[in-house]
This record gives sequence, C-alpha cells and structure tokens, in this order.
Amino acid sequence: MTGAIRPDSWNLVLFFHVLGAIALVGAVATVIVLAATAGRRPERELLARAAFRVTLLLVVPSWLVMRIFGEWTRSREGYGDDAPTWLGIGYLVGDLGLLVILLTGGFAFWWSRRRGEGWQRLAVLGFAGIYLAALAVAWFVMSGKPD
Amino acid sequence: MGTYGWLLALHVTGAFLFLGGAVSAGTLNVLARRARRPSEIALLLGLTRIPLVAINVGMTMALFFGIWLVIHLDGYEITEAWILASLVLWVVVGWLGSLGGKREKATRLEAERLAAEDDSPSAALAERLRDRVSNGLSWASGVAGLAILVLMIWKPGA
Repeated sequence: MTGAIRPDSWNLVLFFHVLGAIALVGAVATVIVLAATAGRRPERELLARAAFRVTLLLVVPSWLVMRIFGEWTRSREGYGDDAPTWLGIGYLVGDLGLLVILLTGGFAFWWSRRRGEGWQRLAVLGFAGIYLAALAVAWFVMSGKPD
Repeated sequence: MGTYGWLLALHVTGAFLFLGGAVSAGTLNVLARRARRPSEIALLLGLTRIPLVAINVGMTMALFFGIWLVIHLDGYEITEAWILASLVLWVVVGWLGSLGGKREKATRLEAERLAAEDDSPSAALAERLRDRVSNGLSWASGVAGLAILVLMIWKPGA
C-alpha cells in the first residue's frame, strides 16, 4: 500500500537503499559462512583472507549504499523529529552497525595476518552473527512498520 | 502489527533470503575463481550450498506470502501485468539458476577429483571456472531476481 502512494521519483532512491541492504545481508552472511567453516581446516588461511576481503570490498560499500540512500529516502518522506519506532530501529541497526562492521573487519584483518590461526575467528563469527541478527530485525520491522 | 504488516514483513524476509543468498553464492563463486588449488576451489564451491538453501527458502516465502498479500489487499489483482511479470521472472530465476547450478556442481566434482589426486593447480579446471555459459546463466538468474525487485518497488501500472 505504501508503494501505491509513494511518488515515482522516490523509487530509485528506495531501490538503492533496499539493494544496499540486501547486498549487506548477503555479504555479512558470507563472512559468517567463511569464519564458521575455517576452524581447524587446512584451508583456514585462505578463508581468513577471504573473510577480510569480503568485509572490506563488499560489506563496507554495501553499508554505505544502504545508509546514504536510506537517509535520502527519509529526507523525502519528511518525518522530521517525530520519527516512528520502526525508523528508529533502522537507524540504530544502521549506525551501530558501522561500529560492528569495523570491529568485524579489524578482527578479520588480525585473523588473516595470523594465517587463519587464533581466537580472532570467533570474534569475527560473533560480531558478524550479531549484526546479521540485527539486520533481520531491522528489515522485518521496517517492512512491517508496526506503528 | 496487523495482518497486512505481517504478510509484508514475511514477504520481504523471503526477498532478503532469496537475493541476499544470491549475493552470498555469487561472492563465494568469485572467491573460488580466484583460488589456485583444486581443494580450495572445491571448498569454496561447496560452501555455495549454504546460501542455496537460503535462496530456495526465500523464493518459496516470497512467492507464498506475495500471493497471500495480493489476495488480502483490495487494491491489487493477480492478473495485473507487473504481478504476472514478477511470477514469470520467478520461474526464469529458478530455471536459469538450476541450469547454472548443474554446471557448477560438475566443476566442483572435478575440483574434488583433482584435489584427491595431487591437488596441483589445473589449467583445465581454471578454464571451467571461467566458463561463459555457466557464469552467464548464474548472472542472468541474478539479474532476473533484481528485475523482480524493480517491479516490486515501482509497481508499473498499479
């Protein structure tokens, strides 16, 4: 229904916001798959390098696209200071997400420098897992718009 | 959250699983193409089976809750052009993805065979990873998925 009353000129901005969010979800999930698989596998060095590269080259750019176009969408919808709860949750997950992404990237870099050895793998897995769960909450409330 | 909110949230969840899974599978595929040893290539291609589960669950959810939404809302009909186009694209995504997936499975099995032998880099395997038909099918499937997203946001004719 929201789509039916949204001016066409907003659609491109919303499209890039959603596209960035989808790419972010896929990228974070990939980091989780790589970190979860590594363990004591002989290919752990490759997986650690891959996790860092995916964080740097896909997670961070996707977050930027999602956040920039999200802000643009909000400015057009004119909520002002009276933003609904679902939008606040989106902001929280988006903004705190940058910190979690930076921590994930930092630990992924450290892990890759240690040739896939060490506890840093679990830190990458933990932060990426928490962020994916937060993203799931965000997309659910932002699409269902409870209030 | 009312029925409409729940249906829309579950429909969107399906879309995120489907397209997010496609991003993940595509990323693992690109990583496999950059790996050297057959064991590494086999591992990375094997990992694509995890996002594949998300893709299949997501496609089913998006279709099921999408049709339910159309039935629930008064403003839309299943016969509207943008909805019919989305359904056709949904079938195209599955068909192209399935064709590409079969070729990628054959590449993974070849990589596993080479890994079990001496695990030395193979030009033939590298060639298979660069196979234009296989990659073209996978990318075309992804583009068709994106086209569904475009239709869902613009709703042309609604």
